[in-house]
Parts: sequence; structure tokens; C-alpha cells
Amino acid sequence: MFRYVLRRLLQAIPTLIGVSLISFFLVNSAPGDPILIRTFDPKITEETRDIMRRQLGLDQSLPVQYISWFTGFTVRVGDTVEEFQSETVSCDFVALLNTTFCDTGGGIVRGNLGTSISTNQPVWARLVERMPATFELGVAALLVSLFLGVPLGVLSAVYQGSVFDNITRFLAVVFNALPAFWFGLMLIFLFGVVLGWLPTGGRQTVSLTNEFDLMDRVRHLILPTAILAFGGIAGISRFMRTETLEVIRTDYIRTAKAKGLAARAVWFVHALRNALIPLMTILGPSIAGVLTGAVITETIFSWPGMGRLTFSAAVQRDYPMVLGAVMFFSVLTILGNLLSDILYGVVDPRVRLS
Amino acid sequence: MVQKRFSLLAALLIAALVLAACPQPAPVVQTVQETVVVTSVVTQTETQEVVVTATPAPPTQGGVFVSASLSDATILNPILSSDNASSGVHQFLYPYLIGGDPFTGEIVPTELAESWSTSDDGLVWTFVLRQDMTWSDGEPVTAQDFKFTYEAIAAEAVETPRKSYVELIESIETPDDYTVIVTFSEVKCDGLGDLGLGILPSHLYAADFSDIMTSTENEAPTVSAGPFTFNEWVRDDNVTLLGNDAYFKGAPNMDGLIIKTVPDAGARLAQLQTGEIDTLALQPEQLTTAQLNPDLNVYKFKDDGYAYIALNLANPENPQPGLDEDGNKVEQDPHPILSDLSVRQAIAHALDYETIINKVYLGQGYPMAANVVPAVEWAYNNDIQPYEYDTELAAQILEEAGWVDSDGDGVREKDGMTLSLNLKTNAGNTTREDLGALAQDQLNGIGFDIEFEAIEFGTMVGEMLGQTYDMVIIGWTGLGTDPNDDVFWRLQFDTPGSGFNFVSFSNDRVDELLRDGLSVPGCDPAERAPYYKEVQQIIHDEIPYVFVTGSIGNTGYTTRWQGVDPGPWSFYHNVEKWTIQE
Repeated sequence: MFRYVLRRLLQAIPTLIGVSLISFFLVNSAPGDPILIRTFDPKITEETRDIMRRQLGLDQSLPVQYISWFTGFTVRVGDTVEEFQSETVSCDFVALLNTTFCDTGGGIVRGNLGTSISTNQPVWARLVERMPATFELGVAALLVSLFLGVPLGVLSAVYQGSVFDNITRFLAVVFNALPAFWFGLMLIFLFGVVLGWLPTGGRQTVSLTNEFDLMDRVRHLILPTAILAFGGIAGISRFMRTETLEVIRTDYIRTAKAKGLAARAVWFVHALRNALIPLMTILGPSIAGVLTGAVITETIFSWPGMGRLTFSAAVQRDYPMVLGAVMFFSVLTILGNLLSDILYGVVDPRVRLS
Repeated sequence: MVQKRFSLLAALLIAALVLAACPQPAPVVQTVQETVVVTSVVTQTETQEVVVTATPAPPTQGGVFVSASLSDATILNPILSSDNASSGVHQFLYPYLIGGDPFTGEIVPTELAESWSTSDDGLVWTFVLRQDMTWSDGEPVTAQDFKFTYEAIAAEAVETPRKSYVELIESIETPDDYTVIVTFSEVKCDGLGDLGLGILPSHLYAADFSDIMTSTENEAPTVSAGPFTFNEWVRDDNVTLLGNDAYFKGAPNMDGLIIKTVPDAGARLAQLQTGEIDTLALQPEQLTTAQLNPDLNVYKFKDDGYAYIALNLANPENPQPGLDEDGNKVEQDPHPILSDLSVRQAIAHALDYETIINKVYLGQGYPMAANVVPAVEWAYNNDIQPYEYDTELAAQILEEAGWVDSDGDGVREKDGMTLSLNLKTNAGNTTREDLGALAQDQLNGIGFDIEFEAIEFGTMVGEMLGQTYDMVIIGWTGLGTDPNDDVFWRLQFDTPGSGFNFVSFSNDRVDELLRDGLSVPGCDPAERAPYYKEVQQIIHDEIPYVFVTGSIGNTGYTTRWQGVDPGPWSFYHNVEKWTIQE
């Protein structure tokens, strides 16, 4: 088991290097200039922009930028020790090569995701700041999806072909197809504006004291959770229906029925437990999803989460922020998959981790 | 600065700070206050004896005003920030040297400087400061704070996009705590606006500017000299401010002000409807909803922006700068189609402005003839009429210029060149997308072959400044109270990749007029006006832009606040006097 986990973790290293390479060049190949987008103002001169680009290293070639982002070491032609040396950056000029070498102390290999261009804060700090909000919404949505999706799926399978099954399947398709940006606004309009039952957005009622109030938090959580969970319920119920249908055709279920077990025992002891095992495979990645956030839902509901952070960073061409988020999400996804594989082995003795 | 998605309010507040350099008659802004009147049936009339008391009742205290911003602030330092969301917050915290009249945009001594005078050559400005302004920690706001702020911008240790604000400042002297003498290296009639940034509390920073970039004051300012003090910033969610008892215009009646981040436009309107927020810069399609709501007021005004279609006059395959390294004029490689004035005239006549303004801008616009908005009245050229919608005339102009459809495919040709052009705008701005589709339709109707595409904003800016486009739909907002817009037209700003003369407009007379109009000794508006009026005539005739519509702003705000008195240049100018209705 330990060796398995270790091997999987070691395998993750080349994956992450690959992710870093692809995402870096992909992000940088997108049109748009992170400096220009911040300074699209006739009052700001090109000289100012050039200084800003140089300070951020954006004047360097892409491979140099990549190495600098990845390792934290950067090179520049000429003696630029004075210009770039600071409390956190140490530089040396090698006269022979006419090159200055700087160690910024950062680099993702050293676990430093860099600094956000927009706010000048560490990328990691900005991610951590958003984690609670994203986690709160993600967990709520996942729990609701599971608690409603699993029974609905099993019941659909039990009453296969019935009106209930057809309605559930139809609604699953409809809710999966409804775009969140439209459906979210409709819910806001209905429950927030017309009925006035629920707040229209945000994570809590904003006040000068911003005191924690559990009921207030829950009220704010309802609509965005609903939007996210509709998709989750639809997906999980359909998945569970398929899995349950597969399980009930197996020999051991037939045996269970044959030996006269009560229907409830057959369904919920034998069928459900076995049908739940494959759910692990989709649960691992969902756990990563819980932490990465939901861009559209977070935007519509003014939810201060990670999805929105990443999205606005992409729009603002905040490269370090986008890349930091991508790397973080990649690690989460890899860990999520590993976790689901391990759990799979735990719940299903037939699967050996080797 | 052109993005409509930026809050109009914030844009206006910035505009209010961009003030003309010289004392001048107030440009009159035409404003219309629209209040929705709710008719209610009075069933019973009671006669009441009114007791007149000698002293008026004190204004109601308390309440929290909530506004919404579409994005979160990035940094609460007025010399480091360059986004409207940040200035939307720090405008309440830092003092300003000069004030702007909220209704006319005129520079007025309502802030730190209580009076000023200029030397005969117009280079030296002496400001006398008021002595009753203090930071919320009790320290006085002094000339030293101003000097520190502007020297910080110039300091090498400080990285800021505001460097150009100090370029023309030769020196700042402070003979005593309440006198500032600013010496400019040349007369630049719109230069006083550069002195309008928020002033930093120098006593909280290192004298050598070494901590400007890293100070915690940038995220959580501990002192304020504005109407509010900083309370808390929950990133991406809200900033809360508390009334500043030490505010020199008097402590606000309200307890505090909250700026919430609400990124979605539909959600912002919903929050205004439910009263979760108190004000919102309304988009045209939101106007009716707001007007029909008895709990909302709508303030309508002509603002300092316009929408236009930029026509690239130079060859997009070969972008060239307007001047070479020695400052000599570079003859541009002309655009194969758009360099032909008759094509530009045909485009200007082919657009149905009335329909565009009514249907696309939902009535929230007015026709424009040239590059100065009527809000800047003293420089506005009243004699020029906007181009009229006349498709027959447009077709005739093209015919006469030799653009004819000889092969019957519906597209005109001339010398083997078809009248094919691309038209772009930024995706997500539905108004511009609608305008693009309509313009495409109308131009194709007279024999153009327009390929319209909505692309991502950053990409569009790249193509636009890179000068690799044919036509782009975009707009300017926050142009301010001075008519000088030399960056759009002068040769020196035609620099592919960075300059704002991205249409490659090249006209010696305009170059001269804009240069001289800015350095008129004394900066008397009456003397400057002819320069700008002539520029408008030439721009109108040469059509580097097709002016689609001037912008009208609509600010919605809840009726529960009394004393709100919005002007086109500022919504919050008297925020300390607002009271909540019980």
C-alpha cells in the first residue's frame, strides 16, 4: 500500500512538469498583454509600460520566463544587479558571460507559486483566502448531490421504465442542460426579488461588523448550492441508475432473490453496496472539483470563491495567478484520483493496490 | 479606460479629478433629473397644525449606504492603483488638492487648496492650503503630504503607472506647512488635472519612499482624511468604511458605507431592486425596470464619453509609426480601401443613427458630429452637423469614386479590389455586438462586404493598438472636462503596439492646432476654444472615427436616502450630508 502510494506520487511528478509546460505556453500564447490590459489609458506612457514589463520579467523570451517561473532562477544580459537586487532577490554578475544571475527565492519547484500581477500578493495567499468559500459551497453541493442523486438513481433502477423513472431521467437531462448563468438569474429573480425569501447573492449579509451568523450563511448558501447540485444530482442519479441496473443482473442478486430475501434487503444490502463501488471513481475527481470552484455559479451569486478568482485572473491576464491556480488544481486532481483509487481498493477487496 | 464594464460612477469620479489647468468659465452640462412619481390615492385628509421650531431638527443619524462594484479593488493606494474598482474605494479615504464642481466639472477650491494663483508665464502655481483638514489620527494634512505624494510617484523605488503625472513637474516647494508651489517645465493647459491624485499621509511612510510598495497601508489604510475611514476588506466580497468624525466638511450622518463586489450585471440589478444595494450605474436595458420601481430614483445625464467606429487609415499589413526616430513625419502606407475619403464618407452616411440610438442604445445616446462632447461647452463646436443617414447619397458617393458592382454579386469593386472590410468589437459587450451586426447589415446593403466578429477584449486591444485591423467598434469614457484629446490624433501617438492614435491619423494642421491649443499662455478658454473648434471641423471632415453616439449615463439609487444630489461629474460629492429615511 505504502509503496503503491509512493509510486503513484512519483508518477505524478512528470505529469505535473508536463502540466506546467503546457499550461505555461498555452496561457502565454493567448493574445493580450497583461500590462496593456492594466494600463489601457492614454495618460500612461509606453515607457512606463516597458518598465512594468521589465520588472515583471515579461520582456524576456518565453523559455527564460518559464525557467524563471519554474525554478526561481533568472538570467539577464548585462550587469543588472543594482536594478533587480532586493531584500528577497539575490543577484550576481558574471563578467565573463556578461550575464546577471538572480535567485528570486521563488519557483514552483520550491513550492512558490509566485506573485499575482493584479494585487501584488502571493498567489498562494490569494488561493488560500478563497478556499473556505469555495469549500463551503462545494461540499454543500456535493452532499446534496449525493444524498439526493444516489437514492433517485437506485429508485429509478428499481422502478425501471415506470413514470417515476421517466420523469427523473427527463428532469436529469433538463437540469443538466439548463445553463447556470440563466437558471441562476431566474432563481435570483424568483426567490430573491419576487418572493423575497432568499438573498440575491454573496456569502453573508454584509454589514459594518460582518459578524458570523450561521442561519444567514445557510440562507446565502441555498441558491448557489441548488444550481450546482442540480447538475450533480442529474449526473449521479443517472450514474447510479446504470450501475444499479448492471448489478441487479448479476448472479449474486439472483441468488439473493432466490433464497427468499426481502426485496428491501436485496436492493439496499446487496445491490446498493455493490453499485456504490464504481461511484468512488467519480467521487475522487469531484472532491478536487469541490476545491477548484465553479466559475459561473460563483460569478452569478457574487460568491468569493476560487472559480471566480481564476476566471477574473484569466480575463485580466494575471499569468502567475492563472498558472498558480492551474498547478494547484492539477495537484488536487491527481490527489483526488489517487484517493479514489485507494478507496476503491478499500471498499472492493477484489481490487489490489499493486 | 474604454471598457463599458467599468463602473460609470467610478469613471465619472475620476473624470471629476481630471480638471482643466486654467480658471475658465464653467462648461454647462445638460442634465435631466428623472424621478419616478408614484401616484397614490389619498383617502383622508387631516389638517395639522405645524409648529415652527427655532432650530431645525438634527439630521437623522445612522444607516449604511451600500454600493456595488463589478470587480474587487486591487490596492488602496491612490498613486499605485490604476483600476476603477480601487479608486472607487480610496476616493473616500484620501484628500485631494483640488476639487471639481459636481455639476459643471469646473475646478473649485473645495478640497485641500482653498485658493491658488499662477505666475504670468503660467508655469508656477501657488496653492494656499486650508488649515482645518486633519487625518483621522489627528495629524494635520499639510503641504508636506502633497510634496511627499508627488515625489513618491517620481521616485525610482516606486513602480506606478502614474509616472506621466509628474513628467512636467519641475519642482514642488513647500515654503510653509500650508503653501505648495508647483513649477511646471512647460505650459500644458490640461496639466492641473495631473495634480488631482489622492494625497498620502506622509507621516506613515518612510521618508525615502522605500515602503510605498509594500506598506500595509496599501491594503488596510489606518488613517483617512476623506468622509470615511477604512474598516475591513474581505477580498472579492466587500469593503466596509466607517464615518470619519474628523472629516473637515463634517462627520457623515450615516454610520458607514459598504462597497460590495457583485460581478454579474443581472445580479446587481436584482440587488438594487431588493434594496440590498443602494445605487447602481444602470445599463440601458435595465433602465425601464429601475424607472418602474417606486423605490428607486434614476438620474440621467450626458456624460463625457462617446461610442465610435475607428477606421484604420493605414495599411493593416504594414503598421508604421507616425514619426521616425528623428521626429520626422513618416508617410503612411495607406489602407487599400479606408484611405479613400469617399469610402469613409459613404460609411458615415450609411449608418442609421436614429435607429442605432433608439434600438441598440435604447434611447440612451445622442448624435455626435465630432470629437468633443457637448458637456465641454466652451470648446464644443455647435456649427457642425452630424452625418445624416442617407443610403442613396452613400451609394452615390461610392459610385462617383469608382466603387461599382460590376460583376453583380452585390459587392462593389474598384481596380480589382472588392469593398471587403473586417469589423471587430469586444465580445460580451452586447450593445457593441448589436451595433456591429446592424452596421454590417447597413453597410452590406450599399455594396460593402463586411465581416463582423466579436472577439475577446484583450485580443481586440492588441489588434487595435497593433493597428492590424480595418474597423473597430469601441468607445471612450471619462474624457474629462478638457477638450484636449491629442493622444488620439497627433503623429507622435501613432506608434503601433502602444500609441492611442491607432487610426494612424496624420494631419499637419490638427497636429499644430492640438499642440498650440494646449500651450496658450494664460490658458484662457476663450483663447483656446478656436483651436479645438477647428480640430473638430477637420476630424468631422476627415472621418478617422465614425461617431455613433454620445453617452448618456443613468444612475439608479434608492429613495430611502435623503439629500442625494448627483451631478454628472460626481455622485458622492455631498455624501456626508445624506440621511436615511426612517
